Amino acid sequence: MARTTVIGACPHDCPDTCSILTTVEDGKAIAVRGNPDHPFTRGRLCVKVNNYEERVYSDKRVLYPLRRVGPKGTRQFQRISWEEALATIASRWTSAIAEHGAQAILPYSYLGTQGIINGLNVGDPLFNKLGATVLERTFCDSGSCTAYMMTIGHTPGVDPESFVHSKYIILWACNTLSTNSHHWPFIEQAKKAGAKLVVIDPVRTRTARLADWHIPIRPGTDAALALAMIHVIIKENLVDRDYVDKYTVGYDELAERASSYTPEFASQETGIPASDIVKLAREYATTPPAVVRIGVAVERHAGGGQTVRAIACLPGLIGAWKHVGGGLLQLPIWAFPVRWDVLMRPDLQPEKMRVLNSWRLGAALTGELGFDPPIKALFVYNANPMAMVTEQGKLERGLEREDLFTVVSEHFLTDTAKYADIVLPATTQLEQKDIMFSWGHLYLSYNNQAIAPLGEAVSNTELFRRLARAMGITDPSFFRSDDEIIEASLDWSSPVLAGITLDDVKAKGYARLNMPAPADWAPHREGNFPTASGKCEFSSTIAGGGNFVVPLFRQGYNGDQDATPVDPLPHYIPPNENPRTAPILAARYPLSLISPKSHAFLNSNYGNLPAQTAQAGEEQAVLLNPDDAAQRGIVAGAPIRVFNDRGAFEAFATVSPDIMPGVVVAPSGYWQRSNRKGATVHVLTPPAFADLGRAPTFSDILVQVSGA
Amino acid sequence: MTYVVTDNCRGCRYTECVTVCPVECFHVDDAMTYIDPENCIDCGGCAPACPVGAIEPDYRLAADKKYWIDVNRKRATETPVISARLPALPGADERRRALGR
Repeated sequence: MARTTVIGACPHDCPDTCSILTTVEDGKAIAVRGNPDHPFTRGRLCVKVNNYEERVYSDKRVLYPLRRVGPKGTRQFQRISWEEALATIASRWTSAIAEHGAQAILPYSYLGTQGIINGLNVGDPLFNKLGATVLERTFCDSGSCTAYMMTIGHTPGVDPESFVHSKYIILWACNTLSTNSHHWPFIEQAKKAGAKLVVIDPVRTRTARLADWHIPIRPGTDAALALAMIHVIIKENLVDRDYVDKYTVGYDELAERASSYTPEFASQETGIPASDIVKLAREYATTPPAVVRIGVAVERHAGGGQTVRAIACLPGLIGAWKHVGGGLLQLPIWAFPVRWDVLMRPDLQPEKMRVLNSWRLGAALTGELGFDPPIKALFVYNANPMAMVTEQGKLERGLEREDLFTVVSEHFLTDTAKYADIVLPATTQLEQKDIMFSWGHLYLSYNNQAIAPLGEAVSNTELFRRLARAMGITDPSFFRSDDEIIEASLDWSSPVLAGITLDDVKAKGYARLNMPAPADWAPHREGNFPTASGKCEFSSTIAGGGNFVVPLFRQGYNGDQDATPVDPLPHYIPPNENPRTAPILAARYPLSLISPKSHAFLNSNYGNLPAQTAQAGEEQAVLLNPDDAAQRGIVAGAPIRVFNDRGAFEAFATVSPDIMPGVVVAPSGYWQRSNRKGATVHVLTPPAFADLGRAPTFSDILVQVSGA
Repeated sequence: MTYVVTDNCRGCRYTECVTVCPVECFHVDDAMTYIDPENCIDCGGCAPACPVGAIEPDYRLAADKKYWIDVNRKRATETPVISARLPALPGADERRRALGR
């Protein structure tokens, strides 16, 4: 019996990118475990991935190309050969291009796997070359990235490992223990050394329960809190004048802007007592090193971008960046020298591309957006939009269109794949190789292939080689091997890769970027912000260009940007939908709904697998405050209906003071079949964008709840 | 869901589990450790760390071991948190060999 251990890395869209050891026996993966040698992930995985081998060998896997043989959405498929699948796709795409032009083809993808070669950009060269519609993928942190870039530029920010040196830690809209759990030991170590941990979250999450101070906040009002903190810091002379004078721009304008954002004003908006806001500002400004870790959820409302603008101003104002363990942590992904242009190939694009934002898929497919030419061919990979995208009802109608040719590459027959004309089998991480960045630590990772692909599954890289060949493309760059793409995907001459070879990373599974140690990392001690001015920009230079989405999220295309004018100073944009801003709507739909990540699911990944659904609960639950439940005669465990003008879904009630009155919580990631009546929470979420970066507004909706 | 300490720990109590748990959810008495299901984040780090294979996720427990879920829950409320490794119990290595580990 041949038993080996293969070092890999987790493929999921999570900040932690864990180092994984897979035990392989006679060609079969029998177990996975965390790699105890990895300095950040330290031998642990998580509830999603602990039994990854069960995902790989699930009897629900799609292992062969399939062709639809029944009405759309009825899951009736028949096995076909790869030759037939590719010939069908090439023929349908070629005729769509001939009849309507290449813009009739729409790729749809995100980070179902986030490896550098199989993830975000793997299909971009092909669709750029064809001149298909560009998918603007603002799924996650796009508004935050635009705001962050406007304020402090693409800096890695605080090293997550430097948190052990922090004395004041604010986790803002971040449930670390469920969505970034390998960061926790560093926070815990800081706590043991005397740091105070503050969690700002509408929900008393697992993380909030372990905080020294949990501050519940009404969804979508975080900017009011951040601006009131700025107000207090300035009014009470807690500003680091030396730092502000040397390394920031726009202080006077910011001070004037913040003068109207009093704690009393912010209290009315946020529901936080004014005295607590003052206390938070004082403690934050006077307990160095102070650090803020923002979660993705902080952007998901009308003013999400300006929220991140305001929060990103705070460390500059108090000089937090002077200290190791002081500053802001958003996405350290910016530290990785990925050659995005090599991966995306924007040079192949025709001059003028048509752009569709990822959140408008339903409206695009139904024709509501008036696209000319209409979308006639949809190619979905690394994504399950039926479970996760706004306006689910429209999307369902769009995917049912008989004249739409839909191809889905997947592990499973997802809520989206069931509408496909052709389903293609995709490999899991154990069956493919990749090189990985992280957006939660500073280690480059390598995923060695552990086992041969099951059935006829192929990696995304191989999928796009086959599609390019089928479309008659001859450019050799489309047919590079995985090893060649890996080699080309990073700038090996970058100083952060000095002394790191690909062979080392393969053998060990990971390598810390060649940056100062966590005990020495204070990148902005003396300014050096990667902004136009080189300073922290309270008043943003690039705001003058208007709203934009970082081209990384647009296949490298920078044309046809939103360009809506943007105020150069941070400010408070109240939610579109809450009882204060929309009282008429609130008379019918008085409750705010948020849909955070489930503890056991990674977006919709694992929403179909037994171990994780056992943990999460087989069926969608919705959490209500006891007051809200009592007013409606709802008891724990009761079937309920959650609805607004956009639609309705059914679930069962959980009742707890862990959520503040007036807010209900529907953890996302459930598939339609786990929700009574077959609709997920996204049947209720709106198409509106946040102010910056076209982020979604999932945390900015009103609903009503009743017994079902 | 939670991870659960079962009978193999009794008489060994190597407490390797404690060194990997990120949330201090292990409790201890003279015989063995217990996991507080309210704090366990299901990370699974403890399971492979245990030299005697005493720790499993609740959903994987055999029917005759399911009662350990309640034992862990109850004993976690009655016993102190353990945050650093203790010496293994006398005879632990012999017992480990007897368990075929």
